[in-house]
Parts: sequence; C-alpha cells; structure tokens
Amino acid sequence: MQAIYEDPIAAEAAEAEADAEESSDSYSELVWQRFSRSKAAIIGGLMVVMLLVLAIFPEFFAPYNLYQTALGDSYTPPTQIRFFDVDGNFKFRPFVYKQELEIDPVTYQARPKIDTESPFQVRFFVRSWQYKLFGLIDTDLHLFGLDTDEVRLHLLGTDRFGRDLWGRICLAGRVSLSLSILAALIAIVVGSSLGVISGYYGGSVDNVIQRFVEVVMSFPELPLWMALAAVIPSTWSGEQKFLVMAFIFPFLRWAVLAREVRGKVLSLRETDFILAAKEQGASDFRIIFKHLYPNVLSHVIVILTLMIPDIILAEAFLSFLGIGINEPLTSWGFLMKSAQSLETLGQNTWILTPVLFIVVAVLGLNFLGDGLRDAADPYSNL
Amino acid sequence: MTSPAQSVDGDLILKVVDLKMHFPLKRGMLQRQVGTIKAVDGVSFELREQEVMGLVGESGCGKTTVGRALLRLYDPTNGEVLFHKRDGDWVDVAQLNRKEMKDLRKEMRMIFQDPFSSLNPRLTVRDLIAEPLVIHGLASGDEITARVAELMSAVGLKPAYMGRYPHEFSGGQRQRIGVARTLALNPRLIVADEPVSALDVSVQAQVLNLLQNLKDDYRLTFIFISHDLSVVEHICDRIAVMYVGNIVEIAPTDELLRKPRHPYTEALVSAVPPADPLIKMERVILEGDVPSPANPPSGCVFHPRCRYAQDICAQDVPPLVQIAPGHSARCHFAEELELQGVAYDQLA
Repeated sequence: MQAIYEDPIAAEAAEAEADAEESSDSYSELVWQRFSRSKAAIIGGLMVVMLLVLAIFPEFFAPYNLYQTALGDSYTPPTQIRFFDVDGNFKFRPFVYKQELEIDPVTYQARPKIDTESPFQVRFFVRSWQYKLFGLIDTDLHLFGLDTDEVRLHLLGTDRFGRDLWGRICLAGRVSLSLSILAALIAIVVGSSLGVISGYYGGSVDNVIQRFVEVVMSFPELPLWMALAAVIPSTWSGEQKFLVMAFIFPFLRWAVLAREVRGKVLSLRETDFILAAKEQGASDFRIIFKHLYPNVLSHVIVILTLMIPDIILAEAFLSFLGIGINEPLTSWGFLMKSAQSLETLGQNTWILTPVLFIVVAVLGLNFLGDGLRDAADPYSNL
Repeated sequence: MTSPAQSVDGDLILKVVDLKMHFPLKRGMLQRQVGTIKAVDGVSFELREQEVMGLVGESGCGKTTVGRALLRLYDPTNGEVLFHKRDGDWVDVAQLNRKEMKDLRKEMRMIFQDPFSSLNPRLTVRDLIAEPLVIHGLASGDEITARVAELMSAVGLKPAYMGRYPHEFSGGQRQRIGVARTLALNPRLIVADEPVSALDVSVQAQVLNLLQNLKDDYRLTFIFISHDLSVVEHICDRIAVMYVGNIVEIAPTDELLRKPRHPYTEALVSAVPPADPLIKMERVILEGDVPSPANPPSGCVFHPRCRYAQDICAQDVPPLVQIAPGHSARCHFAEELELQGVAYDQLA
C-alpha cells in the first residue's frame, strides 16, 4: 500500500525510511546464498551434521550399555530388523526374531538360527540403562530398544567383548571427530598466526619463519607421528593420550597453512586498503585483526574443513596399528583393530563397519570444504 | 621547530626540500643489496594554503612515491618535508616518530587511486568512513553515526546506505566513500593520488567537481597526482611535471600549458588532444622508453629522448632554474628553446 503524502517533506522522510529498510546482504548472508546453491555441499554438510549428532549423543542412540562387556555375546552378527513376518504380512512396527547361534555340524562354523515363533517389537524412546547427558544430566532415555532382555537388538552386531558395535561406533565418532577437530584447530591457529606475522612483517622475520616451515615440511609425516605416538607412556590415562595425540597431528600440518596464509597476506599487504589503513594511522594490531584476518579467514575455514578428514584418516591409521587411542577410549580406527586378524575378519565381516563411518565423515567434510571454498569469495562473480 | 618558520612565508603549508626516496634492490636467499631504485631523487617544491598543485608524469616517474613519502607511508631516504601545522608550528614530517606522525595524520590525508581495492570489502560503509574517527578516538557510538551521515551527505551519498558493503556501489560512489573517509578527520592537506584515473570518463567529471566544491567548502589544499594533463588543467593552480624521479618543470597551469620550457613538457602537452577538431597541432612523439630509475642516464635524464639534445646534455645535470616568476625548468636550454604549447583559445 502506498500512502499519499501532500507534504513534500513528509514524502521525503518516508522515502528515506524506505531506503533505510532496504536490506543489505552481509558477507555471511552472501556466503550462505552461494553455499546453498551447491547440492554436493549441502549433502556434505548434512553428512557431517548427522555424524556430529551421533557423536555428541552416543548413549542416546545405543540400546545397551556401551561400557559393559557381555562376553557371552562376543561377535554377535547384526540383528535383522523386519517389517514382514514369515507369512509375508506387512507389520507397521518393525520387529526382530530371536536369533541363536548354532554350529554347523559339517563346517563347524557358527551360523544364526532364527526362531520365527515369537516376534519382538522394536520400541522407540525407551527407558533402559542409566547415563549422563553431556556428563551432567542423569537420564535413561534411548532412541530405540526392546522390551525384553530375552533377545538383544544389535544393529551392527557386537565386538569382541559383546558390546553393541553401533553404539561403540557412535562413541568412537566422538573421539575421532573431536580429536581431529581439536588437532585441526591447533594447526589452524598456529599456522595462520605464523603465516600472518610472516607475511605482514616480511624481511628477516619472514625469512626465519619460512626457513623453519621448510624444515618442518621436509619431515616424513607418518614415521614421525608413529614415533611420537609410540613414546606416549602406556600408564597414561585415555584423556592424557587424547590430548597428546591432538598435539601430535598439528605438529607438521601447520606448516603448509602458514605458507598459504603468508602468500595471501603478502598479496593483501600490497593492496590499497591496507595502505589506506596505515595512512589513517592504524596500529599493526588493528591492521592484522581488522583488515588482514577477516580477509584470509574464508581461506582458513576452507583449509580447516579439508584438514579434518586428513587427520581422521591419520588417526584411524595409527589407532588401527594400536599406537594411538586405546581402551577405555575408542576411535573408529581402534574399533577395527580386531580386523587385523584375518580369521576374525573372515568370520565376522561386520567389524569393518567403522570404515563406512570414516568414509562418510571424510566425504562429507570434503564436500563441505569444496562448497565453502566456492562460496567463500562471494564477490568474485555475482 | 622554529628555524624554518622564519625562512618561509606565512601562508605556506608545505615546503619540500630535496626529497629522496631510494628503494634497495635485493636479491637471493641472503637478500643482498644489488642496486638502488631512485624512485624520487631530489624533489623540492612549496605549496601555499588552499592551493591545488598538480603532479604529472608518466607511470613510473615517481609521482605516487612522492605522495606516499610526504605522508610517511614510505620513510624518505633523505630530505625535509616541512609542514605548517594548524597550531602554527612547523614540523619536519620526515623526522617524526610513529606517535607524532599519527597525530599529524589528522591534518594531512590521502585519497587513493583505485576505489575498488582501497576499501576493505569486509567492512560496511559506516565502518569504513568511521575508521579514522575510531583510530584517533574522536567519536564514539551515536556521534560516529551522525558524523558518518554528515560526511556521506557532504560527498553526495545517501546516509541511508550506511549499512551497505562497498561491492554494492559503483566506481564513482566508491570513490566518494573514499573521499568521505579522507574528510573524516578535517584535514588541511590532501594528497589525491590519481583519484579519477580508475573511473569512467563520465564519472570523472562528477568526482572532480566534488573535489573542487569540497576544496572551497573546507578550505583544503590539494596535491593532485595524475598522468592525465586534461584532468589536471581543470582543477590545478600550478603543475609540476615529473620525469624519472625528478621535477623537470613547475609553473602555473596556464603558463605551463601555453609556454612549456622543457622539451618533455612540450611532448606531454602535445599528447593532449585538442577539444576542437579544427585545431591542427604538431604531435611530438618521444623516441625510446622511460629510463629505469635503477640505472638513469648520465647528465640530463631526458637527453636520450630529447630532440633538442646537445653534447652538454649527456654530461652535466641541469639545475632547476627559475625562468619567470613561479616558473622553473630543469633544462640547459630552457631560456633559448621555442617550444610549442597549447593554442591560446583552446584553454579559454
């Protein structure tokens, strides 16, 4: 509706008001607009978010106590969730049959025997074992479970100690993801700070930092990680090991980033707006944090999302070899440690399922990083 | 400082004496110095209050370097830059420490050439224009917003656009943002480094008119750096022509254009196309390239390209001599040569 103003001054005022309301897209809005245009980036983002949710609330998603061993259930194959009974009738509520292992008299291999007599319905939002949400709030709510203890529901089977593998994978995701995010953050903070300092101050400071970067980059990565991880005393607690690991991975990773950020800052330093800031009398501190950092931040965020999957893979590798994360903590790589034995793997193929989660995490983060890289510079061609 | 105050006139605002800006040429891992680029080599001039002086020359002649050295964006190798402060004191800008210089930046400011690269893309117009106020602690909160609105109106921008980002503006508007930012501290001297050369011709005139109006309204003194004589003749009272790090001729605008005394100025002036197609002018084409300031020729730096060059030009460096009041040229034959200028009626 357009109001009619007799008074020209009022009309002018109204016009000014309309102008003021005209929204202006901020940098983050522009980035989001471009990011949301890329389907791969959105899918990658959803994959990452899904894994993060699982990793933050593993107890909620696990039907059985994650920390209790049940040796009798060692290496139970995944329980099949069914919607159709033996007669082919569709049931709205999923159910499971009781399943027992019997030994094949010819091959002596264990194989599941299904008791189709009595179906057990899967219940949602059930109350079973106690845990602390965020380590603070006592609760016993779980996403799904069975009413009975007669039959157990293991989505992805169990591990050597009879613990639910699905729940353990969620729990391992917590360690794998938080370790790699923490390690990547450390690498980013160290790398970008040294990069900005090196690029901005130049001269001998730049020379010293860059020669140091070259030395660091010439280290062989894997042997160094293995050596460092191997010297962690075995008496240390899981948390201590976790922290040390989080510092081992950035050890060499910051160097590449420092070099990239330096390059960016070198080109930015010569731009007129940095010169203009100097001309206004801005301090080095202000120039670095108000003008340089925001302009390299998009690049840094992209590197961050691309560095995390690298560290996930490296951590999985070390833990798989048994020189990384250890009990009582668990990680995706560590979960697969028992797959080192060909015999165990041959009979219990489901113990490789953590690989799927690693693949999802790495793919998701790479998609996300690629999408962010394209979106990070919204001024390029709008 | 008091001594220079006695030696210079009352209404002078700037006196530059033998300004030199040499950049070391470094090579290799150990950054050994292998040479010197004499970007500015002994520039001297004086500037009166509310005067507009043009600094023209080809790219690479050192005109931008002069501007930046005056504002201590570079630390001059040698020379004095005497500035008459608002409180009446004379200071040598080249000798000030960082804190003193920060204080002086309120009085001498710069307008940058490229409005696309001189505005931080991550800041809003308000933050851009307010930045000098914030840095110098001159305003806070609502005061800033009010002052920014005032400045935006002064340069012909709608204050309602305060929350926008630079990429939402055209080149001319961006340059207006740059001008508003420069005015924020109420400067007295503005070094305008090719403020219109990155703009479309149609927009150039608008920005030039804006600068002209601001000059009158705020009683500003300008050093107007440009490579385009036709832009400079519009706005400048005096023009200094630079060639390879030195001023070769300095004179009032009319006189320089009509009666150039240096062969290089003659060539520059002849390159400006006359506004009237009926006027036939002899175009002076210079041979060869601008010599490298790292390795300038002997004697007069212009002699390899000069059509009037004689033996002496290759040997002796000509001094900057005054030919007429306010008109000096750096040529051995400044008084003898009959050089072609712009036709009289063309200027009118």
